Amino acid sequence: MSRQLDNDNPTIFASKVSTSNRRLQKGKASLWAEEALSDDEQVGGEGYYSSASGEEREDIDSEEVYDLLRSITDPEHPVSLEALRVVNPEDIHVAGNRVLVYLTPTIPHCSMSTLIGLSLRVRLLRALPPRYRVDIRIKSGTHQSEHAVNKQLNDKERVQAALENKHLLGVVEGCLSSADKRGAA
Amino acid sequence: MDVPRVVRTHISSSELDPPQDLVDAVNNGHVGLLEIVKALGEYLTSTEDDVRLKGLTFLSNTLKAVNPAKINRQATQTLTNFYLSKLDDFDSLPPALGGLTVLSKLSTFDDDAAVEVYKGLVENVNMKSYMQATRHLVYVLFDSLLATHRNALKAMGTAFINSYTKMVDGEKDPRNLMLLFSIDRVILLEFDVKDRIEDFFDITFCYFPITFRPPPNDPYGITADDLKLALRNCMASSSHFARMALPLFLEKFSTLTGPSMKDLQLTIAACLPVYGPEAVRERGGELWEGIKTEILYSSDTAIEAAALSALEALIRTLYPTNQDAPSGLAQDFIKECLEILNEPEKSQAVAATKILAAIFRASPSAGKFALSQTFPQLFRQFNSPSLPSHRAPILSTISSLLVAVQSVYSSPSSQRSQSQEKALDPYRDGILDVLREGLRTSGLREPSIKGCTACVQIPGFWSKEDVEDVVRGLDDVLVNDSEPEIRPEVIRSLTTISTLQPTIIESLTLPLLFHNLPDSAPSASDHTAREKYRSILSSLEELCVQPALFQTLVIRITTKLDLLSSSRNSGAHGGEEEMGEFDLRECNIAYAWDLLHTLQGVIEKKIQEKHTDLARYFDQIIPRLWTLLISAALPKIGDEKPLFRDRRLIGLVAKLGEGLIWELNPERQGKWITAVYQAFEKGDWTGVVHDRSQIGSGGSPLRNGASSSEQDLIALYAGTVQGLKGDTSLPFTSAAEFLSSKVHWTINVARDGWQVKGALDLICSLVNKRETELKDSLETIVDSVWSVEIQDTSKDVEIRHRGLSVYLNIVKALSLLRLPLAYSALEKVIDILSLSNLDPEFVPHAAAGFGILAQGKGKGHLTSKLLYAQKLWNYVLPKLIDGDKEASGKGRLVYLVAFASLLPLVPASLCLADLNTILPLILRSLSLPDPQQRINAITTLVSILETATDSKEVDKAIHGNAEVMVDSLLKSAVRQDSLPTSGKARSIALSCLSLFPDVIRFESLHNYKSIVVRELGKTLDDPLRNVRKEAVECRAKWYKYGNAT
Repeated sequence: MSRQLDNDNPTIFASKVSTSNRRLQKGKASLWAEEALSDDEQVGGEGYYSSASGEEREDIDSEEVYDLLRSITDPEHPVSLEALRVVNPEDIHVAGNRVLVYLTPTIPHCSMSTLIGLSLRVRLLRALPPRYRVDIRIKSGTHQSEHAVNKQLNDKERVQAALENKHLLGVVEGCLSSADKRGAA
Repeated sequence: MDVPRVVRTHISSSELDPPQDLVDAVNNGHVGLLEIVKALGEYLTSTEDDVRLKGLTFLSNTLKAVNPAKINRQATQTLTNFYLSKLDDFDSLPPALGGLTVLSKLSTFDDDAAVEVYKGLVENVNMKSYMQATRHLVYVLFDSLLATHRNALKAMGTAFINSYTKMVDGEKDPRNLMLLFSIDRVILLEFDVKDRIEDFFDITFCYFPITFRPPPNDPYGITADDLKLALRNCMASSSHFARMALPLFLEKFSTLTGPSMKDLQLTIAACLPVYGPEAVRERGGELWEGIKTEILYSSDTAIEAAALSALEALIRTLYPTNQDAPSGLAQDFIKECLEILNEPEKSQAVAATKILAAIFRASPSAGKFALSQTFPQLFRQFNSPSLPSHRAPILSTISSLLVAVQSVYSSPSSQRSQSQEKALDPYRDGILDVLREGLRTSGLREPSIKGCTACVQIPGFWSKEDVEDVVRGLDDVLVNDSEPEIRPEVIRSLTTISTLQPTIIESLTLPLLFHNLPDSAPSASDHTAREKYRSILSSLEELCVQPALFQTLVIRITTKLDLLSSSRNSGAHGGEEEMGEFDLRECNIAYAWDLLHTLQGVIEKKIQEKHTDLARYFDQIIPRLWTLLISAALPKIGDEKPLFRDRRLIGLVAKLGEGLIWELNPERQGKWITAVYQAFEKGDWTGVVHDRSQIGSGGSPLRNGASSSEQDLIALYAGTVQGLKGDTSLPFTSAAEFLSSKVHWTINVARDGWQVKGALDLICSLVNKRETELKDSLETIVDSVWSVEIQDTSKDVEIRHRGLSVYLNIVKALSLLRLPLAYSALEKVIDILSLSNLDPEFVPHAAAGFGILAQGKGKGHLTSKLLYAQKLWNYVLPKLIDGDKEASGKGRLVYLVAFASLLPLVPASLCLADLNTILPLILRSLSLPDPQQRINAITTLVSILETATDSKEVDKAIHGNAEVMVDSLLKSAVRQDSLPTSGKARSIALSCLSLFPDVIRFESLHNYKSIVVRELGKTLDDPLRNVRKEAVECRAKWYKYGNAT
């Protein structure tokens, strides 16, 4: 180990099963099981219960944003941000074209906060439609230099400059490599 | 036989294998070996190296080929001495070794000779100067001597061991090492090596740890793991190694990482039991430090697992029996773990739990002691935690230990048992208390369930009352459903209990679950109630697969369905309350569907698991369900619409029936089809319903003038016929007449597509299974369908479409059997594709109709022969390609549609074989307007990309077309108003795109990366969540594409 870890024995929390399957279904899906609807489609088109051609829009909600972030790996441990409770579903807010994410460092002097924040930003930059404006902040009262970090994370130029640093980008890519697990172990 | 002449010709033509007739002559005694040696004389003693080598090789090859019994004692001795004299001859060594190896295996080869040969070898052969193959021959000879004359070599004492270790010192080739390691092990185990152990240590431990990496395409196929395993067996062969090996291990702890660390831990695990308690105890503390570090701090689970097995070996070596006092090291280990557990929520606590579990698994005495130290502390912590959030990890530790106990006590191969060790007895009440508390408390249920499941499986631990107690707790969790994510755990636990104690589940769980199922459906807006009954049903679906519980399920579900069907006027006062989007009838249909689907799910699982009790339930299930459907379908007074007229319910019952009928024997099938035939053709329902009184006087549902709801029952008829086996006797005399009548009904009587679909299934299945009975008339029927219904352009288009569907279904049924009629009939369909200008409405439909053929065998019970798909594909494809070439303009489109519709028929491997012809067609199909046809094309492309690796030609084709593919896929992936699309099409296009970064080399697409990333940005805003998910993953892959890793 080349460097002393900031926090070498962090608390691990049990992962919460995503509540996404509890999202209320709309229209026919609220009443019928999935299999019934897919059977319908096969026979469909013959006018009896033809599946509605218009697709109902499922809007991006905080749950979906959380899903994008939960499995990002912590830079110090092979553990997801979800298990460390660095990101929490309650701390993500979506309204219109704005997304606001609060992150909670595991300890108040964590030097990794900026790096974690940067990983979150890159992930959302790549995974959310461009129409969204994303704000990433340290949860108030959980870090010594909250303001400095917030400033750094939400300054476009600084983020851009950071991403031009090959080494830093490599570390971020490393953290993101597990992001597609989306809560699956 | 002229031996000298034969020998001479062979040697001079450098043909060094003896001819077969020479070998035969030796074997039947016509020629003596001595004669051959004489004939070879001049060559064997020649001063020319080259000639001598040829002579020797010929002699050795002859020895290898002849029957060993023909080599007598005299010859053995002479030949041995002769070969021995050649050992110092550099060039002659390989054939000499070969000859000696043959001789050494003979019964005429005695111990003295063995010793002599061995001595000759070590004195004359300088290993370092020979190449690998020759050294290998030496080792093979050693191996042979050791196998046949071990005692003689043993008697040599230290002289043997001294010379052996010198001989093999410095060997580096993995092929030779594999052999050497096995020889080493034999010597270490059998010989007295105590005094020379240092020499052996030098020639074995010098290889540790092995870092060998086989070259790519290694023809010898020796892997690093083979070598590691062989070396590990050597190292764990002698307890005398301990003195030198343990310090070496300790030293390696600080330097090794990754796979070598894993190797070290596994080697320790193998060695410690051999080295014995005395030696190990001396260094035990230090070993513990090294092992512990890898368990507590390692991020690699493979190393952690290896370290845990090393720890088990350590404990097992130190405390092997029940009687050992668990003092000393174990005490220290356990104490350390308990200290870590004082902070139960930290990541190290999980590791400490694993250590304690390993200690339990390894030793009865130390394990019992570990539990006696751990459980009281954990109970104390659980009952008065320093933080409330600590209780979950504490309970999880308790449960993990219980799982470890269970794995030891319930394993059939284990010598240990609860009744004998009684390790858990002092903590029985404590365990039960914390687990029950856990079941009641939110957040603690998951670990508690894990513990309960373990305890139930420990033989002789819990009484029936204890299990009942726990089952009640589990039931509560299930019914109240406060944490849906742990429901699967509860079900798994209850299923485990039901295999051990089915009566408890039957008397406690099932009644409770059924009691919580409503008698009629909750209203459309009541989502919670609906979620609840769905969750109960899915629990039942898992539990009731058990034969002991299935009976209850059948009775309860059919009763619920009866109730639903009799509450017929409930729809009338539905207007008063707020109903949401659907009326009560629709809700009840959905509920009935869910009930039936549960029953079907259980039946399918039972079929998969080959339960034999299903046939018994046929009479309890099918006639009852049919009664509901038939009484609903018959004409009613007024405009009443009974529940069970719904087609979704009819379809589901038909499918369920097909599955169950298939499980009956032909005799019972025959009875059933006779009754069904009476019902559908004659209108006599007696044989197929459970309660005749509920059925009014109805006619045959297939008669002219039957109501639409009666006609819907065709699905039941079809389901029955589909479930029949080929050898079941049928109730009618002329299959051809029967088929014709069904064809007529399908084309002219059926009211809509749903009914046609049912009838088509019936026709297809009938033709497929009764082809032998139909044989002569089949061609006539097929021809008349074609000429009367399809070709006649004056007929209604709908009739022609139906005619075509019938036609293609018959072709499909025949093509599954690879019958010639299928292909000749299909030719007509291919022919009309060229008429798209003349018959613009019908021909595109015919092209899309190839999709019927692509369904193949499907999930049903059709009979098929091997390679039917390949044969059909190879027949149709060239014709489509030719047609496509001849056609022009829009006319080509129909061929493309036919091609794309047929694609799902064949596996990707078939496309790969002929990729250069097929790929252009697939690429063109990617831009077809119909989303389903695009899906077919993309699906094939996905499997092509997934399997395309080795062939150069394929590689060239897909790299050459990569840009075109990406272009078309992007068009399918991005939602546009101009192109008809579906969520499935977009999502599969995206998942196909995400394959490119793995399959296509970056050079071929580097210009495209930025375009793709930009275009994929649009897909992130897709209205469907599932499509967005694919889009995110796909885009993430393209971002990484080409980045140096």
